[in-house]
Amino acid sequence: MPAVQLTAVSKSYRRRGRPPQKALDDLDLLVESGGVHGFLGPNGSGKTTTIRVLLGLVSADAGGGEIRLLDQPVPSGLPDVIGSVGALVETPLFFPGFSGRLNLQLLAEAAGVSRSRVEECLELVDLTGRADDRFKGYSLGMKQRLGIAAALLKAPRLLILDEPSNGLDPAGIRDVRELIRRLGRDGHTTVLLSSHLLAEIQQVCDSVSILARGRCVASGPVGEVLASRGSGDVLVQIADPTAAAGVLQGAGFSVSPADGALMVHSVATPSDITRVLAGSGLYLEELRRVTPDLESAFLAITGDQPHDGPAAAGTPA
Amino acid sequence: MSAAVDEAGARVAEPPVHRASFGSLLRSEAHRFRSRRFIQLLLLLAVVGWVVATVIGLLNYGTPDDGDFADAQARIDEIVAEQQMYRDQCLEDPGIPEGTSPEEWCGPPATADDFGGPEAFLDKSPFDIGEAGTDGALGVAALAAALAVAMGATWIGAEWSTRTIVALLFWVPRRLQVMAAKLTVLIGAAALFGVLTQAAWLATAGIWEAVVGSTDPLPEDFWRTLLQTQARGVLLVVLAAVLAFGLTNVVRNTGAALGIAFVYTAIVENIVRALRPHWEPWLLTSNALGLVQDGGYTITFWADGPIGPDGQPPEYYLGPLQSGLYLGAVAVVLASIGAVLFAKRDLH
Repeated sequence: MPAVQLTAVSKSYRRRGRPPQKALDDLDLLVESGGVHGFLGPNGSGKTTTIRVLLGLVSADAGGGEIRLLDQPVPSGLPDVIGSVGALVETPLFFPGFSGRLNLQLLAEAAGVSRSRVEECLELVDLTGRADDRFKGYSLGMKQRLGIAAALLKAPRLLILDEPSNGLDPAGIRDVRELIRRLGRDGHTTVLLSSHLLAEIQQVCDSVSILARGRCVASGPVGEVLASRGSGDVLVQIADPTAAAGVLQGAGFSVSPADGALMVHSVATPSDITRVLAGSGLYLEELRRVTPDLESAFLAITGDQPHDGPAAAGTPA
Repeated sequence: MSAAVDEAGARVAEPPVHRASFGSLLRSEAHRFRSRRFIQLLLLLAVVGWVVATVIGLLNYGTPDDGDFADAQARIDEIVAEQQMYRDQCLEDPGIPEGTSPEEWCGPPATADDFGGPEAFLDKSPFDIGEAGTDGALGVAALAAALAVAMGATWIGAEWSTRTIVALLFWVPRRLQVMAAKLTVLIGAAALFGVLTQAAWLATAGIWEAVVGSTDPLPEDFWRTLLQTQARGVLLVVLAAVLAFGLTNVVRNTGAALGIAFVYTAIVENIVRALRPHWEPWLLTSNALGLVQDGGYTITFWADGPIGPDGQPPEYYLGPLQSGLYLGAVAVVLASIGAVLFAKRDLH
């Protein structure tokens, strides 16, 4: 059963005196149950609108399109599944004059969650010692942690986190990522993680969807999305690059120098390079398939270009 | 946090499904209402105000003795004698128009009753619950209604300023249910506040009557009239809270809502009374008076002059039932507009 399913969903915002702005454009999105699913996209690509549509805060355009959350239609079936969905959307929203504990207790009371679960979640985000302080006195990181605690109160089957690392210090970021990974592995929780931190998505997520201009332009396991954007280039380290270049060019490869090494382009089967060079008495020191990191893939997919040189990085073959 | 993370993984192994019921939502909202600092401060100030008012009353009311009455009589005799002297001068004035007798020109002789009798000149008069009880209930209702406006406006206004009402929808997605719970809690709290303020007035009046009260017997039907006025006062408090809630929910800002309410009562109503006096029956404060005041509120259209069959200016009577229905209708319409907008609009 998919945790999240959107089919041909559109959303336009009316603007006074201007044509409507299309935030979602026939968006198709599928998030299977289990694991951590990353949700990527540049500013204005429709990530937060998608989350708001999923949670019933924003209505999709009428006529066409289907939205399902934990196999229930949205918004009509939302009351039946909301008890299994935890969410932190953009900034945490709490009463500034109430303590962190009271804010969580009020939410817990509304949903019939026990008070002991409130204490568990406070402990989980390391806020027990400051739980009786007023929310408005919290640092940005503490506010964010309280927002995560609120999202976890229901022990949700689907956890939607929008930029959960905002304001956290490095230790907090590490702990949140560890928590997300653990939840994604517990067999019951699906985490939908929206983040602009590409490294976070790459580290934490099992699968990813990339949005651009209101459409899903790539989706699948992180490795597959990266591989699909691979150039087929292979980096060759060898003692005599000049000789090796000549041999490889003679065998039909396209070769260019690369900082004392060789870059062999559009290689379908890297083992061919090993065979050709060994046949000429040249032996490799290192052979790496060059694959893009998520940032490069993301920028390529969404149509933006890297700003500071090539963002490709090698991974051992 | 890492150690706790390990525990969390184990705890979420069998996640229960939580369902929010209207009852649990009501309990949560009531908890929030009584936890609000504004409400706690309001109650504290109300208690302090009640104590101060009671003490001031005890110091200003009193049971006069024979000496006090003699002093008052002497003062009023002095005033009457002074008026008689002026009248005598008037009677001897040669400028009295022909055809007019001096008595007609100068009027009848002044008496002590013209100045309210000796009681009006007592430094301390006894408190008369029979005379002041109903008017006091009206005043307390007006004050409580003003506070209820602040209560209703801040109750929903704080939700919009912090956008916590949006976060609550992650827990209870039925928007009208959320709004109904908030309104129910407000109505209950406003009714309780109205009852408490009227009870406080009864307590104050009782203390004054016992300590510095008059010995005059109570008028016939006094308690029925007083309790009915108090009940209508409680209704006014509830309606004021709902009106403020509805208005704030429409404009989504406490300051803006209170500003609109102030401009309406301080400027718009006075302009209407001055320029369009026949619209006064539709004004909220006129209807508030018509609702609570014993016997309703009669509006006299002085500008129309004596055109009635009895030579009196025309009048319009606002009875408690009519005024209550009108105020109730306005409150329902405002609250409904806010609720429908909340249910239909996109929330960001």
